[in-house]
Amino acid sequence: MPYCRGCGHGLVARRLDEALGRLGLDARRVVLTTDIGCVGLVDPLFPALHTVHTIHGRSTAVAAGAVLADALCTEGGLKNIVMLGDGGATIGLLHLTQAALMNVDLTVLLHNNMLYGMTGGQHSALTPEGFATSTTLEGNWLPALDMEQVLRGCHGGFYARQLATDRELGAVIAEAVEFPGFALVEILELCTGFGVPLNELDGRRLRAMAQAEGKQLGVRIRRTDRRPYHALYRERFPMRAAASPPPASATSAGPFAHRLERALGVVVAGSAGERVQTAAAVLAQAAVLSGLHCVQKNDYPVTVGSGFSLSEVKLSPVPILYTGIDAPDAVLLVSADGLREVKGRGDLERLAPEGLVIVDESLAGALPPGRALAVPLRRALSADAAALGAVALLVERTGALERGAVLAAVDALGGADAGRLRAAVEAAFGLRPAAA
Amino acid sequence: MIAGAEVRLRSGNQMVVEGALRAGCRFFSGYPITPASEIYREMTQRLQGRGDVAVGAPDEISALCYCIGASQRGVKAMTATSGPGWALMIEAFQYALMAETPVVVVVVQRLGPSTGGATQGAQGDVLLAGFATSGGYTVPVFAPSTPAECFALTVHAFNWSEALRTPVVLLSDKEVAMTYEAVDLGALPDVPVWTRRPASGDGYRAVAFTTPDEVPPFAPLGGPRKVTLTGSAHNKDGWLRKNDPETLEVLRHLEAKVAARAADLTLVTEDLDAGADTVVVSYGITARAAREAVRAARAAGRRVSFVGLLTLFPVPAAALRAAVGGARRVVVAEENLGGLYRRVLAGALPGVELSSVNKLGGMIRPAEILEAL
Repeated sequence: MPYCRGCGHGLVARRLDEALGRLGLDARRVVLTTDIGCVGLVDPLFPALHTVHTIHGRSTAVAAGAVLADALCTEGGLKNIVMLGDGGATIGLLHLTQAALMNVDLTVLLHNNMLYGMTGGQHSALTPEGFATSTTLEGNWLPALDMEQVLRGCHGGFYARQLATDRELGAVIAEAVEFPGFALVEILELCTGFGVPLNELDGRRLRAMAQAEGKQLGVRIRRTDRRPYHALYRERFPMRAAASPPPASATSAGPFAHRLERALGVVVAGSAGERVQTAAAVLAQAAVLSGLHCVQKNDYPVTVGSGFSLSEVKLSPVPILYTGIDAPDAVLLVSADGLREVKGRGDLERLAPEGLVIVDESLAGALPPGRALAVPLRRALSADAAALGAVALLVERTGALERGAVLAAVDALGGADAGRLRAAVEAAFGLRPAAA
Repeated sequence: MIAGAEVRLRSGNQMVVEGALRAGCRFFSGYPITPASEIYREMTQRLQGRGDVAVGAPDEISALCYCIGASQRGVKAMTATSGPGWALMIEAFQYALMAETPVVVVVVQRLGPSTGGATQGAQGDVLLAGFATSGGYTVPVFAPSTPAECFALTVHAFNWSEALRTPVVLLSDKEVAMTYEAVDLGALPDVPVWTRRPASGDGYRAVAFTTPDEVPPFAPLGGPRKVTLTGSAHNKDGWLRKNDPETLEVLRHLEAKVAARAADLTLVTEDLDAGADTVVVSYGITARAAREAVRAARAAGRRVSFVGLLTLFPVPAAALRAAVGGARRVVVAEENLGGLYRRVLAGALPGVELSSVNKLGGMIRPAEILEAL
């Protein structure tokens, strides 16, 4: 035994061995996953099992990954037993709660000696109030985290609390390992290196301490109403023989002609929720349908759905290297949010010679006279079709693409209001600038 | 003209997903973070759609640990994150290296530090990826600059992770990841798929090797061969030891197996002019601006070469030295402060004048690189 005389860790190892013997498991279908700390020295005591010694606190997460992969990608039936201390439970609490919530089929043996032993007896989140450690010499002034309550809060399937010296520990561990779902056994023990000398403890006092804290021993939670995660998962996501196809997407390139001799950089800007990015995607898709190279990128404030929405689309008859648009060939503005953003970015100042600016009529006054083509996009179409209308007008004015390409790209969007959007595009082709 | 029958608009993130599926990835775990979230979402839909495993994690540490456990069970696994999540993953990543566990981590860079600019691009995690491990070990890092490279390099990342039994980083960036682009899905590079060498025969020792650069054959947890793995220093049987000669041999082996294959691991794209006086070196999104700058410089009569780095680590030193040839100057273009990767190259290109084009908060423009030429 790699443990100090009287340390509970050795006792737990014996009880685990007893439990495995009792269950008669195939050793090669059992993994022992250990955490950092004295408890992590246990691996060589189980030479017949697979052993995985992990990093501090993360043992439960590594074990969960192996269990899920086994149950869902291979033959299933793997038993994974995690051994960690109260320190590992403190730093790795999230992994424990998540495994309990998911009801991952694994067993955690939490060796709770109420302090970090390997590093010199510091207090953990599981150190009881009044308990002396090297960092709480006068006694811990915080209450201990109650793992039973934690497990209840996670709808945990199985929870037991025992002393390392309890005769029935082996049977309880066996029950936990057999349990189909997440099982946690908290084992109260003494660290003879630090806990005992600092607190004048012995086994009897430990039991009394647990009682004083209101910690009851034995199997405290055993729920049969929850199925293990892998069973729920498989029911919801059945294994399919063939790989699923990529998500549906629009028709492929080529059926339409284009009249583009060099790259065309377009900036579309408006307000969040008004389908600016959809309009840009339609332009990009129309370009693809016309055999053009194209890139599309979207920008918005840190929070999606508020303020401006802006997209850049670059179309080109030759492959596109640099994806940015330094001097836009066209700027389409359909709301004040979009105008503000574009002014901030300086797109209008950087507009290419002969560049085209199409704006909603409501913005005409905010731009130098004669600079922009002002069109009643919002009034004639609708707020959420204005950007799409601007794209249609761009195509119409430049003659870069065929009308049919834009309509086909709109059709490819699908969805409930595809018909309305198509009508908006058709209407936009016929829109004329507002009277000067 | 791009006129294949399967031309689609695809983002870099989406092509990472295609690459992962092509490579045989059957397990994904993720935690939401812009600009990597699209990978999480699409891997979830695609894997669940065919009954494979995609699991939402409560944090990035869990995400990588789930993947590590799955890989130790013998299933190819991947996670994706950005700089802040990568910072959390690093200890588990080091564990995977020590325990010789293949896993792929996609790091989609954004402006940092801290929450930084979640929707702003950057190339600022280059060294945090390349030097993620304690002790001087080489972390293979691939850096795509186009959707097609996202696809191909994801397959390469899995392949090398499997072949070397080591964790690999695919270092993307927001502008590569979230830009949609016309991609001919019917003309993607045909990268063969590799899988870790399986153990055979009796007397299996989980991490034993004969020559230091040999990659130990793999046996899965739960299989007939006893597996012993640890993130602590260990002997060839996988048992924790401190610093006996065999343990130090294992530690050196972890580097030797990568170093021995550096020439095959290092991928670059080149557009060379044998008489160039200047070579522009770049990677990720900036490589595209650099190519355009080189094109413009040549049109103006300059003799300039271009080298795009698809592998950042191990440093493609030999390929770079060959490409530089007699050129007197190398300009490294990258979107970060102070030229992170240029500092790495300083050691690899002795006697060459090294300069940088750097920027923060926006893509480097071809004109800015041209100016430096």
